[in-house]
Amino acid sequence: MTRLMSVLCVAAAFGAQTGALAQARPDFSGTWKISQSKSSRNVVGNNPDIQFPSQLDVKQTPTDIAVVATSVRQRPVSATYTLDGSKVNVQAPEGITETGQAMLNGSNLVITSRRSFSSPVGDVVVDFKEVWTVNGNELTIEKTRTQVGDTPSTQKAVYDKS
Amino acid sequence: MRVRLAFATIFLGILLAAGAALQAHHSFSATYDGNKPITLRGKVVKLGWQNPHAHIYVGVTNADGKVVTWEVESAGPTTLMKQGLRKEDFVGAEVIIKGYLAKDGTPTVNASSFTLVDSKKEYVNEEKTQ
Repeated sequence: MTRLMSVLCVAAAFGAQTGALAQARPDFSGTWKISQSKSSRNVVGNNPDIQFPSQLDVKQTPTDIAVVATSVRQRPVSATYTLDGSKVNVQAPEGITETGQAMLNGSNLVITSRRSFSSPVGDVVVDFKEVWTVNGNELTIEKTRTQVGDTPSTQKAVYDKS
Repeated sequence: MRVRLAFATIFLGILLAAGAALQAHHSFSATYDGNKPITLRGKVVKLGWQNPHAHIYVGVTNADGKVVTWEVESAGPTTLMKQGLRKEDFVGAEVIIKGYLAKDGTPTVNASSFTLVDSKKEYVNEEKTQ
């Protein structure tokens, strides 16, 4: 009986360790540059339907993730998200207000944000949802843009680690 | 002497024309804000069907009920025609435009795509240059 209990304990401990490994947090840290050839049509270039930054600088700790998004001749957008999903202010260029939140969902990082700015037809509010997946030296971001009076659109961009 | 003067005049004319074309074909990022995407819906009131960019003027009703005329910069006629759009399709048509706001705060956008509601004809920007 004691021997059986010991075997079960060892099996349980082994199972827990395997589970912990499976649940290991993905690490998105690094400098990522957009790959034109791997990304879906119309995400780079002069005026894509959904704008993706040309470079991402990411620093991740066990509790938060800092992201600086840079685009060619555009002002950078940065934020430090806590990974518990708390809402944070995004440092956006002048004239833009943006809040966002991030959460790890299995092997993905999900960032949702709301951007608002004024325009000649009144205030514009745009919602974004980004799903990040890292695979070795490749980062894939699927981004959905939703705006009042418009159907949501989704595009995918692939970044290479540099 | 007269021949020289004629050549000089022609050369000056070419220089001026090239300068105007370059100014018309400006960089996206110099004029538009990539961080400010916008979707507009309204009726086309006027069309500038010329190279290097067609300009579509669209009446959009704002929250106060006032109609604001927006200038929408698009691809040139050749690109639009390749995507099945003709000059006759525009004026009076209802259009949904996705694009980016001008940096100067004027009602001007650069279209990344648009759809003519009734005819369901679409334009998608496929330019791949930065």
